[in-house]
Amino acid sequence: MLKLEPIVWPLFGLGMLVGGLLYPAFLLVATLAQPLGVLSADALSFERAHALASHPIGRVVLAAAIAFPLWAGAHHVRHLSIDLGGIARDAWFGALCYAVALAGSVLAVMAVVRL
Amino acid sequence: MSGRETKTFVVTRFDPDRDEAPRTQEYEVPVRGDWKVLDALNYIKDEVDPTLSHRWSCRMAVCGSCGMQVNGEPKLTCKTALREYGERVEVGPLANFPVVRDLVIEMDGFMERLSAVKPWILEAKGAAEVEGPHRQTPDELAAFKQYSMCINCMLCYAACPVVANEPDFLGPAALALGHRYNQDSRDHGASERHEVFRGEGGVFSCSYANECSEVCPKNVDPSKAIQQAKLLNVLDWAKGFVVPRGGK
Amino acid sequence: MRARVDAMKSSRPPRTRTADPTPPPNFWRRGNYLPYIAFGSCGLLLFAVGFGLLRLVWTLGSGDPAAWNAIFESYGHPLYLAFHAFALVALTWFTFRFFRLFPKTQPPKLGPLPRPPDSVFLLGLGGAFFVATTLASLVLGGALP
Repeated sequence: MLKLEPIVWPLFGLGMLVGGLLYPAFLLVATLAQPLGVLSADALSFERAHALASHPIGRVVLAAAIAFPLWAGAHHVRHLSIDLGGIARDAWFGALCYAVALAGSVLAVMAVVRL
Repeated sequence: MSGRETKTFVVTRFDPDRDEAPRTQEYEVPVRGDWKVLDALNYIKDEVDPTLSHRWSCRMAVCGSCGMQVNGEPKLTCKTALREYGERVEVGPLANFPVVRDLVIEMDGFMERLSAVKPWILEAKGAAEVEGPHRQTPDELAAFKQYSMCINCMLCYAACPVVANEPDFLGPAALALGHRYNQDSRDHGASERHEVFRGEGGVFSCSYANECSEVCPKNVDPSKAIQQAKLLNVLDWAKGFVVPRGGK
Repeated sequence: MRARVDAMKSSRPPRTRTADPTPPPNFWRRGNYLPYIAFGSCGLLLFAVGFGLLRLVWTLGSGDPAAWNAIFESYGHPLYLAFHAFALVALTWFTFRFFRLFPKTQPPKLGPLPRPPDSVFLLGLGGAFFVATTLASLVLGGALP
């Protein structure tokens, strides 16, 4: 675990920044405005969404928007576990958190490649 | 004794020869308006119960001896005015430390953590001895002066949730002290200290709760020192791949 | 914050029997402990939203418009709406707390330049949030490009 810290910590910081800048807008528009019918019919239609996402910039932004915040999430969850008295389990629990983030990051890259 | 209010002090007592676990004992103390918590404790020891044990020395917030929990908050008792408190004042030993007796905590762990960060000027390996005094500009002094103000009172350790939960954590004062030396222009041991910072209980165990800086009576801001140390540690670690280590 | 019995232990055993370290009884109420735990708990929300976004992008890549539309249908369920509204408020709070904490991590000198005061960082990050949120909202909402 210790060897990973200098790698994980900057990923965690970047993840908070990327998540913080992009997730509020995503939540507001895609998960609230869209289902509530506030947007026009084709704003998040499959065709338009696919066109935006498959653009090179779109692919990079989406991969970053998924992957980096997962590292921030993993780091926070791990430290939350320690704060709740879980230092003894940190060896495997911390590794599990980062493994989940890694898996999600790999899947994020795969997801944008196969668009 | 007119004009003196009486306050009730609920003091934690623990005698390892007699008590299974700490208990509390109440004392009625006639306090003066300008008294600090320490004055009341000294009154108790002098006039009421000579068996009470507590650490204190300078009574002016520079020695760091008198740290205790006052109504649940880590405070320097020589600096904590009684007029800010109501009729009942609870005084206990500093949180997160083993208790030796009454209000006295075991500090060996703290002393070891301080030593672990190598808090002395480290010369560059193989460097010639410096002739005459080190010269330092005001800016170079300003880079570390704030972190040199620590009086080792351990209030930050009592406030830190990571100290409570992670036994190996070096803690705010030790890490801030290490950072103080890393920032000192006379020192050339930053890489050596960064190895310690990257190790067990180092800077990355800190989860930025910031409680240490909130309770510090000397505005050392150990939290700032640690967060800066994390970034500098990552840079030092990355530099290690480009510039070979082993002799600076 | 329950202090472990081996908190602040030293390498040598104590000379007399010591009582176990304890936190004060009000530990969960004092200081900034509750906001700090809330901040850490937002990590779970980051996981949730991150994997939710992954699911959406994966569905896009599967070439199935029906599946895509079905996801947004499901987002109309009151529980989903409540969760997403909560996540929006929580992550916005999280972001601004992060912005407030961020300046302390910056080194005293940025290269040869002295480090700017905290307010500069806050302004910059707040501005970035405003620009990013507006841009993302316009793009997702259909107004751009």
